[in-house]
Amino acid sequence: MSKKPSRRNFLRPVGAGAAAAAFLPQAKLSAAPAIPSITIPKDLPDSLSQSPKVGSFEGRGMTGAEIFAKLCKDEDLAALFCCPGNYTVINAIAAAGVPAYGGRSEGSMCAAADGFSRVTGEVTACSGTEGPGFTNMIMNIASANAARTPLLVLASNMELSGDDREKFIQTGYQQPTTTGMKKYGKRLIDPNRVWEYGSYAFRNLKTGIPGPVHLDFPAEVARARFTDAAKLTDYYTKDKYRTESRPQPTRKEVEQAMDMINKAERPMIVAGQGVFQRKAWDQLKIAAERNEFAVVTTGPTGGHFPDDHRLSAGVAHDATMSADLVVFIGQYSMPGRGEYHFSPDAKTIRVHPVAEDIGRNWPIELGIVGDEKGFLEILANEIPRKKRDAWVAELASARAKTEKRDLDHYELGLKHSAATNRIHPAVMAKEVHDFLYKGDIDPKQTVTGVGGWTTGIFAGRWMRANRPGQSVACAYQYGAIGPDMAMMIGASAAVQRGVGPQAPYKGAPSLVVTSDAGVAYSMFEFDTAAKYKIPLVVVVYNNNSWGMWPAAVGSARSMHMYLFQENLRYDKMAEGLGARGEYVQTPEELRAALKRSYQIAAKENISTLINVQALKDFTNGAAYAPGIALPWEPGVGSFAH
Amino acid sequence: MDRVTSAIILLVSAWALSGQDGKLTADAAKKLKNPIAFTKKSISQGRDTFSRNCVGCHGDNGKALIDAVADATDLTDPKAYRDGATDGEIFRSIRDGAGASMPSFKSQIDKDEDLWNLVNFIHSLWPPESQPPLQKE
Repeated sequence: MSKKPSRRNFLRPVGAGAAAAAFLPQAKLSAAPAIPSITIPKDLPDSLSQSPKVGSFEGRGMTGAEIFAKLCKDEDLAALFCCPGNYTVINAIAAAGVPAYGGRSEGSMCAAADGFSRVTGEVTACSGTEGPGFTNMIMNIASANAARTPLLVLASNMELSGDDREKFIQTGYQQPTTTGMKKYGKRLIDPNRVWEYGSYAFRNLKTGIPGPVHLDFPAEVARARFTDAAKLTDYYTKDKYRTESRPQPTRKEVEQAMDMINKAERPMIVAGQGVFQRKAWDQLKIAAERNEFAVVTTGPTGGHFPDDHRLSAGVAHDATMSADLVVFIGQYSMPGRGEYHFSPDAKTIRVHPVAEDIGRNWPIELGIVGDEKGFLEILANEIPRKKRDAWVAELASARAKTEKRDLDHYELGLKHSAATNRIHPAVMAKEVHDFLYKGDIDPKQTVTGVGGWTTGIFAGRWMRANRPGQSVACAYQYGAIGPDMAMMIGASAAVQRGVGPQAPYKGAPSLVVTSDAGVAYSMFEFDTAAKYKIPLVVVVYNNNSWGMWPAAVGSARSMHMYLFQENLRYDKMAEGLGARGEYVQTPEELRAALKRSYQIAAKENISTLINVQALKDFTNGAAYAPGIALPWEPGVGSFAH
Repeated sequence: MDRVTSAIILLVSAWALSGQDGKLTADAAKKLKNPIAFTKKSISQGRDTFSRNCVGCHGDNGKALIDAVADATDLTDPKAYRDGATDGEIFRSIRDGAGASMPSFKSQIDKDEDLWNLVNFIHSLWPPESQPPLQKE
């Protein structure tokens, strides 16, 4: 019996109905072969459900890769994101029980590992194969370095015996390649020292200011076998190769700081990434409420002080200019004096874990070497209780002024949207804001990420972080356009697992707002999201161009380099990768699409791309006011520092 | 006629020359005169507005050397101003936006006085021979 399917029987479910449909007359009219559905192979859940299997010195012994994997497991490595390559190492880490994810490009997997870490503060790893896979990660290693992410970068690197001979393919000098974008790195050249260098890695990842660590594994190290632990150099447990001790400020320094805060009329704490990394958000909140100082958060992650708190200066722009004392705590990427909107007359205290950075870029009245949590614990317990009614009122007034400005821009955007039947970025941002924080969803629930140029600048202003680890500035400091979606797949994986501050919201969908330019870098990772049932709503601002197209205005023969085909269907591409697609041109359509997409993400763990059709000309402030102005730093939407 | 009165007259006439959307036309901008004298005090106040709103794209020295920002104008070179360098034209570019990438700062800098002080600060970035003569307070 012939089973030539027609368009009609293709649309029917497989089974008896399909067989019956084959007898319909239409079936004879078409010779098109059946197109199989996108499915997740059975091997995938089977593989994920297997029990961990760790190596042993018994019998054939442990490989160098297994010894390294054991160390990763002992150190609670939170997750590994990789593409195949570096096989012995990634297989050993997955087998040891570390949550592992395999994706479509090493660069995106590196960004995903970064994203997982950004919303949890935990150490994560990425891995790729020798030369090409490793070099594909470069942009995102640099991005993680700028964000001070404790990221373990792993890559295989051929054989020691082939060094300098260009033997076979893919050898590269990896360590010089990551110079300037890592905290520590090493090509492992002695199999006996694999544990020792693993401990070097985690000592750097878990103490001091975090940053990427890059290890490259030649085959002689990864595949070496050990039946006797005594052959391994410095084979100690972690309590012997690193310390949990932190620098504590002196009593005199803390008293001096408290005295300055107390005497100030309008003190403001800049709670940097270190406050998040050290999980010191409770101490910060208690101290702020005792003394009624204002707080603005900075860093690649938001929410270590809630944006919706009455003492938050996240959107109280004029208040930052009014502060008479600024206290930086754990500000890992230090801006220059003109880069943050503080009065030149404001006095400055800086609390930082390492002395070498204090005084760099920004003159200080008082510098304190100390752990962020240790310092804030003292403040939480000892800072004098104080009411600062005038300062609190000024914060509220400044907040209202900024919010009114954003609403004014939204109103302008609505007019532009109505006139063009395309969605202005201010409208897109406000709709997402209202959906996440003003509707039926717990406003603390959804982790968001923002990237892209036009997109990031408009959307960043409207995203909020009302609890630790709730928002990610994907382009933080390095300004990379493109890692956003992959980074948020990693963040969403952390929410799925309920790691660290994500525990109360375990399983909730995440959302990223990115651009048509940016999404192209990591869109194939919809396949990864589908494989692992990671629910992410991806809002793509599609303005048919690179956001920097105005740079070509007035320059001969240049504009073509900045433009894409118009009205590309990113939503269809997402469907082709096993996700959902939505296409919207009006605010009403966007509102409905957000609701549908979020519900399906929450109930069925299916990701969606919402293609928000826009115009490049919305960037043009003279034609479509207000145009683009950089965000106020520090504050909500900041991405430089 | 005192300075305040002249300013009011100028602004009213500028409004009369504005387009329907409230934006200044190019002709109106050219005719507009700065009602605030080029003084140290005005420059200082303009610097404050500049540091709040402008340094991201134009840099703290006005030279706009940050390549990550699309084609911002070098404010230290009045000949490079694509939408004119008279006081009124600068006022217009800031308030209403200019070209494809200069946004409108109408909602961020909502007082005309602050805009004029900013215009004066921008003059202070020019080469000395191009600057207007400094007035006494």
